[in-house]
Amino acid sequence: MSADKTKPLTKVLCCLSDLEDGEARGFDPFKIGRDTVFVVRRSDKVYAYRDVCPHYGSTPLPWKKNAYLTRDAQHIFCSAHGATFDIETGTCTLGPCLGQSLTSVQIAISQAGEIRLFLEPEEGPIRTPVATG
Amino acid sequence: MKIVGPDELVFGVDSVEACAAFITDFGLKHVGEKDGSGLYEALDGTGLSIYPKDDPSLPPPLPTSNMLRKTIYGVEDQQTLDQIKDELSKDRQVQVRPDGTVEAVDDLGFALGFRITRRRKLTLLPERINSPGAAPQRGFNEIGANEDAAALPRTLSHVVYFVPDAAKMEAFYIQRLGFAVMDRFTGGGPFLRPASNTDHHTLFLIQTPEYMKGIEHFAFHMQGPTELMLAGSRMVKKGYQSFWGPGRHKFGSNWFWYFNSPMGTHAEFDADMDVFNDKWEPRVLPMRTEHSQIFLLEHREKWAPGG
Repeated sequence: MSADKTKPLTKVLCCLSDLEDGEARGFDPFKIGRDTVFVVRRSDKVYAYRDVCPHYGSTPLPWKKNAYLTRDAQHIFCSAHGATFDIETGTCTLGPCLGQSLTSVQIAISQAGEIRLFLEPEEGPIRTPVATG
Repeated sequence: MKIVGPDELVFGVDSVEACAAFITDFGLKHVGEKDGSGLYEALDGTGLSIYPKDDPSLPPPLPTSNMLRKTIYGVEDQQTLDQIKDELSKDRQVQVRPDGTVEAVDDLGFALGFRITRRRKLTLLPERINSPGAAPQRGFNEIGANEDAAALPRTLSHVVYFVPDAAKMEAFYIQRLGFAVMDRFTGGGPFLRPASNTDHHTLFLIQTPEYMKGIEHFAFHMQGPTELMLAGSRMVKKGYQSFWGPGRHKFGSNWFWYFNSPMGTHAEFDADMDVFNDKWEPRVLPMRTEHSQIFLLEHREKWAPGG
């Protein structure tokens, strides 16, 4: 994490041209050893969310690196219990967190095509032990 | 009723290819069709079946995100199959397939199958440890930390369901199929085992809203904690997502390590579960985090002390 804890973290995740249309990719901007943020490209738009399923609020979505989408790439999919989310809004449309939403994170795409992440200092990595099951 | 336990879990999935890769790395052996469909077996022949979600041979899906389409129980003999058929025929449709499998749905619509168990009897070594004050369990010059151990799942241990009416389901499995409660989480649900199985649970129910109905996880028994750690570490190294563990549960005492899976449910390695007979008095605890585990260890990348 950034040494100055009063300033927002800004970090280039990748370039728009690194992502295929309909591709998702996870990132580890806090360098904690696993991805905590992911992006999905649709046409020239990019949607970015925390890699945290709202079902438990502290658990990651994919079953392996970058596996955030259904096979047809039309929805975001949590492989913990099959929750399915709308890519544009992050809203859960089927599954254990029905009606809840993924937490979006702020990004901007520069003129050079860089996807830059903005996070407030208090928005550090979420990682608490899981509890049920 | 002489029900042995779950023999096979049948899934209708979004991506057969993804499931094939995951389950093979999990350690089950594919004995099914070339496209990756069909059965994946543990050492004793229990296992998971994977089909595309629109496969016409599957029972209809639940209206939730659940991909489990059928739980097939193994029973001891034909007499038990006949008993189950007679019992369930009292108030629901029961089908007998050409292979003799008896099929029905439970009281909340989970599809069930019953057949004479296909479990092969295993004769394998347990995990052996050397403990002060007791005779060594491994021979002289025999190494415990064997990185080359196969560490394969031995048998299908249990399945856990999210259910909107745990009391109704508990009554069905106890009164109609002869299961018994081993322990209970108030606000959660019961740990159940069938008559011909001594494990702490082969079925656990968790009370949830209706829209969550479906499988929560399944588990396979490993030789012991060491092979569980080895199998889980290999999954992590291959890039699979650990969900919870490794750790050890309180109820059942089983070691656990859960992974996310493309079947939309957790796949658990477990080891060293308690066994019971009819003399056990069930414990009751509130379903809280501190009661779910006696400890939790989390994976850390390669590390060693040094100067």
